[in-house]
Amino acid sequence: MPFLEVEGISKSYGSTKVVDNVSFSIAEGETYGLLGPNGAGKTTTISIIVGILQRDSGSIRINGKEHSVTDKASKAHIGFVPQQLAVYPDLSAVDNLRFFARLYGLSRADARRRSEEVLEVIGLSDRAGETVSAFSGGMARRLNIGIGLLNRPGLLILDEPTVGVDPQSRNAIFENVKKQTGEGVAVLYTTHYMEEAERLCDRVGVIDGGQIKAEGTQRELVSAVGEDDTIVLRMDGGRESAIRTLEALPETKQVSGEGSEITMLVADARAVLPQVLDSLTQTGTVLRSVEVREPDLEAVFLHLTGKALRD
Amino acid sequence: MTKPVTIGLLNLRRVFRDRTNIFFVILLPLLMVFTTGLMFGQDSSRLGVTGAAEGPLAERLVASLEGTEHATVERVGSEEALRDLVERGAVDAGLIVPEGYDERVREGDAEVSVLSRPDDWGALNLTTWVRSMVSQEATLLGAARFAEAESGGDFDTRLDDAENADIPGIEVAAVTTGESVFPEDVSQYALAAPPILLLFTFLTSLTTAIGIVQTRQSGIARRMYSTPTGVGTIVFGEALGRFVITLTQALLILFGSALLFGVVWGDLVATAAVLTAFCLVGSGAAMLLGSVFKTEGSAVSAALGIGLAAAAAGGTMVPLDAFSGVVRAAAYVTPHAWGYEAFSEIVRHGGGIIDVLPQIAVLLGYAAVLFGLGAWRLQKVITR
Repeated sequence: MPFLEVEGISKSYGSTKVVDNVSFSIAEGETYGLLGPNGAGKTTTISIIVGILQRDSGSIRINGKEHSVTDKASKAHIGFVPQQLAVYPDLSAVDNLRFFARLYGLSRADARRRSEEVLEVIGLSDRAGETVSAFSGGMARRLNIGIGLLNRPGLLILDEPTVGVDPQSRNAIFENVKKQTGEGVAVLYTTHYMEEAERLCDRVGVIDGGQIKAEGTQRELVSAVGEDDTIVLRMDGGRESAIRTLEALPETKQVSGEGSEITMLVADARAVLPQVLDSLTQTGTVLRSVEVREPDLEAVFLHLTGKALRD
Repeated sequence: MTKPVTIGLLNLRRVFRDRTNIFFVILLPLLMVFTTGLMFGQDSSRLGVTGAAEGPLAERLVASLEGTEHATVERVGSEEALRDLVERGAVDAGLIVPEGYDERVREGDAEVSVLSRPDDWGALNLTTWVRSMVSQEATLLGAARFAEAESGGDFDTRLDDAENADIPGIEVAAVTTGESVFPEDVSQYALAAPPILLLFTFLTSLTTAIGIVQTRQSGIARRMYSTPTGVGTIVFGEALGRFVITLTQALLILFGSALLFGVVWGDLVATAAVLTAFCLVGSGAAMLLGSVFKTEGSAVSAALGIGLAAAAAGGTMVPLDAFSGVVRAAAYVTPHAWGYEAFSEIVRHGGGIIDVLPQIAVLLGYAAVLFGLGAWRLQKVITR
């Protein structure tokens, strides 16, 4: 049973529909990415799921139970990491954590204990007493995520958590997310960075104009839009015979050569590659390098919406 | 109740973590009580006098001025030095007894001058008094001269006769009615402390609106709402925070002024009730401001503008008792005037809770309206 089930949720402001019949689900231990450009409706969708914004229609079930803005029991299962740094800059990291832990209903002693644990998880134990205003952007982001972990959520929702973060902190955030999914937490992750979705998410929903245009694994999305993989081979001589060999393979869709380089299009490069290498070895071709280029989510997004992710 | 208390106490903690706030919230108001108290308790007027050594009659005039408690008389060596003292405000007015005063008195055309700074109302009061004293002296001198001219004898003997004579005159009996606005048995600091308390607690409570704006704009309010915490609880917690901050400051001023300056705040129940009602008004206003303004800058400007304007109009800068007519009536649009009136009744006239019930009712009315609007508005901005 999915931990989160979203069915046909919609939200309008006046005559503008910002979320339009969005449906998806996330299983325990799964990371689901909502990939879309700014203004696509990601944050509004998340706000509805978190329960801070009323939906116009549709239904949300968390752990099998209907969820609404007034449903405190369901909210207790959700860890929310907003895009903004929603922390008190004039308080210390530990004070911020303890405050939100109390709002999650933890007793004073439990709040203290859980805050220490979370500080450990986000790697800020040694800076616990420092005011947040003295933190780097990356440290503040980690604290922002830490607050979302206080209640040991079954569903962790992260809204563009890496905006403005240095590469080191970004990696730390990814590790945290992976650790959560490893512990069975369902993760909903919004981003407009294709690389993040590809690296973190088991499944991706491509959202634009408030609608989910397509969803699935990266592989499924690429297949669905019909984009081919490209294999680029570089060799020392014998290009023409190599081209003939490759054209003879049944999986080959197109082969072309230029200089010492051959480019071939196939449906699934990873599946075909062993056969390609065998065939070329048998003809005595000496390969200098092999490169596989799979269509990425950027290409998928372009195909689905007719515009680039960062437009 | 745990969550609203958690939110409220966090707000209190944030305010007092900032050391500059400790100065503005606690030390400055007490300093203001001290300086304003000094003004209320200023000694009697100071009159500088030059020319006392011109002769026995000059000395007699100056001695008559020194013989009253109306003003402190300071003898000055020269007219130039006296002029300097008046111009610097070291004395409120100066009396110049001219050279040859005694001879001119005997000739019947003596003249003295009073120096004062323009538009100095204190000096005007003093001048009136000096004019009255000189006039009394002139009456005696005139009588002595008349007796000398009519009956012979020397001037000094006739002056003694005039002084000892029982001459029927017209007595002006000045009778007061009602209570004194500033009773003498109330210390100067007790007069100063209540308006300062009203001014600062209202101003501080309005500036706490900035905390609400920050909480909203940084996304913290919505994050709180994402936890199992109802929006009503969040709004109540924020309101409680404003109230606790305001009440804490009010109590610090109250106890600080009592301990440092011996201010007697009168009936404890009445004082507590007025204080609580006024703090509720301030925190209600803060809730409204904090939920209406979108940036900290605009909230600060509005808080200072409204806080200072209401304080001035409500009689906490210039005493409400000095207002009259339309200005005084208009003052009662502000909660300050009601607070001022209530504290005047308690502190100056020994009033109790029954005496200040109308003022408390009005203040609670203000609080209800402001809190109602503020809570409604804040709830809307968190959930939209």
